[in-house]
Parts: sequence; structure tokens; C-alpha cells
Amino acid sequence: MNDKAIVLEGISKAFAGHVAVKDLSLEVPRGSVFGLLGPNGAGKTTTLRMIMDILGPDSGTIEILGQPADHAARDRIGYMPEERGLYPRMVLEEQLVFMAAIKGVARREAERRLGPWLERLGLADWRKKKTNELSKGMQQKAQFIATVLHEPEVLIMDEPMSGLDPVGMDVMREVMLDLRRRGATIVLSSHQMEAVERLCDRVALINRGEKVLDGSVAEVKARHGKNTVVLAYDGDGSFLGSLPGVAKVTDFGQYVEVRLRDGADPQPLLQEAATRLRLRRFEIVEPSLHDIFVETVTKHGKEAA
Amino acid sequence: MSAKLWAVVKREYLERVRTKGFVIATILGPLLMAGMMIVPLLVTRSGGKVLRVAVSDATGQLGAAVEEALRAARSDDKPRFDVRPAGPGPVEAQEAALKKAVLGGALDGYLHLPKDALASGVASYYGRNVSNRIDLRTMERAVSDVLVGRRLTDAGLDPTRVKDLTRELDLKTIRLSEKGEREDRGMASFVFSITLMMILYTSILMWGQLVMTSVIEEKTSRVIEVMASGLPSTQLLWGKLLGVGAAGLTQFLVWALSLLVASLFAAGHAVSDVKMPEVSPLMLVSFVLFFLLGFFFYSALYASIGAAVNTVQEAQNFVFPVILPLIIGMVCFPAVIESPDGGLAVALSLVPFLSPLMMFLRIVVLPPPMWQIVLSLVLLVLAIAGAVWVAARIYRVGILMYGKKPTFPELMKWVRHA
Repeated sequence: MNDKAIVLEGISKAFAGHVAVKDLSLEVPRGSVFGLLGPNGAGKTTTLRMIMDILGPDSGTIEILGQPADHAARDRIGYMPEERGLYPRMVLEEQLVFMAAIKGVARREAERRLGPWLERLGLADWRKKKTNELSKGMQQKAQFIATVLHEPEVLIMDEPMSGLDPVGMDVMREVMLDLRRRGATIVLSSHQMEAVERLCDRVALINRGEKVLDGSVAEVKARHGKNTVVLAYDGDGSFLGSLPGVAKVTDFGQYVEVRLRDGADPQPLLQEAATRLRLRRFEIVEPSLHDIFVETVTKHGKEAA
Repeated sequence: MSAKLWAVVKREYLERVRTKGFVIATILGPLLMAGMMIVPLLVTRSGGKVLRVAVSDATGQLGAAVEEALRAARSDDKPRFDVRPAGPGPVEAQEAALKKAVLGGALDGYLHLPKDALASGVASYYGRNVSNRIDLRTMERAVSDVLVGRRLTDAGLDPTRVKDLTRELDLKTIRLSEKGEREDRGMASFVFSITLMMILYTSILMWGQLVMTSVIEEKTSRVIEVMASGLPSTQLLWGKLLGVGAAGLTQFLVWALSLLVASLFAAGHAVSDVKMPEVSPLMLVSFVLFFLLGFFFYSALYASIGAAVNTVQEAQNFVFPVILPLIIGMVCFPAVIESPDGGLAVALSLVPFLSPLMMFLRIVVLPPPMWQIVLSLVLLVLAIAGAVWVAARIYRVGILMYGKKPTFPELMKWVRHA
């Protein structure tokens, strides 16, 4: 038994003239939460569809649970497409039992499992309603239940957080971590990196079909060093950007984030700021995945150009 | 059948059967059928109320005889005319008064015999309604008899004797079947067979179209992606065909059953005025069977169209070539009724695209030899196997393909390479 749930090797896929995924290799360890991150149109959905054997790659190989994608044991995999994949006129309860049935779960068993899930995701009062009477967020949760009801070993989820309110996101995050604790492997895609940053063990950032970096979240952040400073102050801070060692200043209104050049010491910045401004906060933090991504992509773009 | 396939079939079946449209069509269908069968019979046979007419006679010698003949005129053993006196006065004044009476509603119409009516054989009927052809035909015959009778008498011949000698042929149509002979009304049988064929035609198209739109809906809502992660596309296709087919079958069984009940009821009331066309077991069985087979054939094609396109609008271009054979069948059906065992009818009823309609029509009009029925069924089943094979291939590629609508050569490529 191999310790990788999913292995992609050099997969490429082109659609009528444009390359969606280019020579992508990934390894997803068993029992991890893997985030496939990138902006819209980066090739995330195409990659997930290839893993699900909905699309065939033009080249490269895909292995899932030790078998080629087109021979994979479908019942051991749960798939949640980006757009709602539910029958609009079906009653929720029946719909979910049906979705479990096509994954090989007997009716009675599916009904038994369904109750706790509906409770947990706050859909218990809606079990007799038709799917098209549910709100978008509720449909998203229903879709999630449809993905997990057959207790798959691997979950492939395309943008699972989109359309959810903050409470819904928290519930979803909790549930996913719970599933991981029970041994499931989760692959999810997102373009909102903050939403999944705390959830993922490992991430891969892709841009224009190419992987720009991957590894565990800790590794990725360590690789980029603790070179971000958060400042909150009263006074005019417009001089910050022109200080030596400062690469970039982002104003968030309540505070500004200062990105230092590689190897630059934050001490001179602290002294200068302390003398010219009334400081309320000065903190050295890890860069967010968002920053790392933007930075890497910009660098990547320059190299490519 | 695997549990997964069964789940799909059941879902498809319940989704159709639970709609209001299905319930209404299933219940209204037999009523509509009954209406379509009985109304034409009533209209063609018994007609409306007795007509109030008067005779304005300018010849001065035919009036009484014509009035007498009209009183005696019968249609279906019922008097048709209530002859009223034309009133006094010269013919012109008489006519003016009659016109007024007709427009005022006191009379339905009046017959005018011009001066030279006897020689020219011309008379005119004035009425508010002159489209009740059967009654007017009865009138024409009655008046004609009077004129001819008078001419014969004038020529020194005996009208009754001449009538006896020149009696025309009255061709009765008697339909022979295993169950014995039975006098048949040509018109009723004609209307009946066309009605059943129309039902078959519209049902096959309607259910086929339903399969197509539901495939498109599954694509649009992306349910198909989830489904395809559960079971192979061929099973998805079969699940849809069997599930929707079962719903159609349910409706057809209800219809066939009510047809049977209606015909038994009519047989039990043979004394009643309206004679229902005969419904044989062969007819009922083939009604249901040809629906089912026709459904599978056309639905498989419809399903592949649904899989190939993204919207119902896009589908229209592909739909036409598929239903063209059915339309050809509809154009050819009079020839088949005219000569149900002629070369054209036999050929049409063997071609798989058409046999669901044409063979059924032949069975209704004049049951063909058993070997032809069996041959047509065998060919149709083979064609279904072929259609499903092609559809499964297009389905496999198409259901997960979004974006540009494929061209016909591209579809062919899918079939070859899938």
C-alpha cells in the first residue's frame, strides 16, 4: 500500500488552442488536506476533472488510490463539482439517498447516515424540501453531504467554500478536519486563499496551468521568511515606502503591511517609524499565502517574459 | 440489474410519474381518445335536429309531391324534415315571406323550384346553414326522385317499375376477422386507426423529446458530473431510457386498458346507436409494444443529441433529421390505409424508422401475415441495438463536453473513437 492517495505525473491538457494545464506533477499524501490554489482560470477545475476521469489528460499519468484514474474504484472517491450538481426538483432527502445509492450505499444505510449530517450542517428542517427551494449556501452544504455520504477515502472538492457565509465556512472547515482525523484524504481547490490557508496541510499554487510552488504550508511560508511587518499608527506614514530595505507597502486602512527585501533587518524600520509616527502596533509576521502567491506569480511572470 | 442502475431507473421513473402533466395526460388521454372516436361517429351518423323547411313552387304542379317526398325522407331511419306550408300568394311574395321567416329563425330554410325545374332539373335551397351536407344530400335525393318520377310518368312509364329495374348497387363493407364477420362503418374505422396512430406518433416524439431535454438539464445543472463519478455512462444512458420508458409504458398501459374497457362496454351495448370500431387483443398488444420499441429507438437518438449539445435551442438542428422519417411516415399513411397489403405498405412497415407507426397502422386496418409482423419486430429490435450502441458512444463523450456545439463530422468521430 502506497502512502500517496493521488499522484499526478506530468499531466497536460489543452482545449482548442489554449493550454489549460501544462506539465503538472503533484503528490497528495494519504490522510492530508491538500489545497490546489490559484486565481480564476489557472487550471484548477480542469486538474480536478482529470483526477475524476471526467476529462482525459493529453499526456501524463494520474494515479488515484494506487490505480490509474480510469480504473479507479469510483465508490471510494467523493466528488463535489464547482457548480451545483443536484437535481433541482428532487426532495433533498431523496436526492441525497439517491446520490449515495449510485455510490453503492443501500437505501437503509444511507437513510441512517443522513440524519446526523443534516443536523450537523443545519439542514434538518429542510429534508422534505425540493432542492430548488434551498438557498445557494444550503445547496452547497447539501452538495457536500452528497459527496461524503458514501464515506469515501478520497474527497475531491472544487471550490467547497464558495457561496458560504462565514458561519457556514467554519462549519465546513470543522467537518473537513473531522473527516481528515478519520483518515480521509481531501483535495480542494480555491481561489480565496485565506479561506483555506488554515485548513490545508499542503498546498500547490498554480497559475496559467503551471505549478508555481508546492509543499506543506509551513514549508512554503518558511521558504519565504518572516519578512513582513504589520504597523498600526497615527500620523502620516507615506514615507514608509521610501525607506531602505522596504520592498512594498500595502495599506489596509486600519493597518499597513510592509514587505521587506530578502535579508533586510526590521530594526531600522522600527526606529524610523517610532521617531516619526505614534505607533500602536509593530509586529513581525509570516507572509500570507496570498502574498506569497502574488509575489511568486509576479516573479514567475517576469522570468517567463 | 445492478443496484446502481436500478437506483437511476427508479429515480427517472418517479421523476416523470410524479409530475402533474403525467397524471393529467394519463387520465385525459382516454377521455380524449373516446371523444375523438365517438364525436365523428355521432356527427357523421345522427346529425342534428330535424330541419324546418318550406317549399316554394313556381312550377305549380310539383309542390305537393315534393313536400310529400321530403316528409317521407329518412336518414338513419329518422325523418329529417319538418315541412311547413309555404303560405298563400304569388311565388315572388311567397319567397319574400319565406326569406324573412328563415332570417327570423322561424324556418331553417326553404326549397325553391323554378318554373322549368322539371326540364332543367335545377332547384335551389336557401338556408342560414348550408353546410349540413348529409341532410342536403337527403333532400337532393328526395326531390330528384320526384322529378325523375314525374318525367317517367310523362313519358308513359311506370316510375315504381323503373325504379325497381334500375336499382343501384348498395355496397356494404363487412370486415372479416377470426372472431367472425361484422359490418363496419368505413369512416369510423378510418378515424379510429388514424387516431391511434397519431397517439403513437405524438407519444414517441413527446417522450423522446423529454429524454433529450432531461439530458440537457443534467448537463446544465452539472448533475451529470456527479452521476458520472458514480457509474459508467452506458449505464447512465440505460438508466434514463429504461426509467423514462417505464413511465411511458405506465401511461400506455392505462390507455390500452381503457381502450379495452371501452370496446367491451360498446360490445355490451351493441343495440346502441354508435358502433365502436373493433379492438382486437393483437391491436392492444401492438399499440403498447410499438410504442415501447419506437420509444427506445427514437429516445436513444434523442439522448445522444441531448448529450452532444448545451441548450435546447442548439438541439433543434439535430432533431430534424431524426424525426424526418416519422414525418415521412405521416405523409405516407393514407397510401397504407388505402392498400394495407400493397407493396408500399409492406415496405414501409418493415423499415425500422417507420415500422412502429406503419406496422401498427396495418395491424389496425388489416392484420398482416404473422411473418411480416415478426420480421418487422426483429428489424426494429436490431435497429434499437444499433441506435443504443451509437448513442452510448456519443453519450460517453458528450455528457461531459461543454462549449462549442459539435458538427456532424465531429459526432461521427466520437462514435468511431469512443
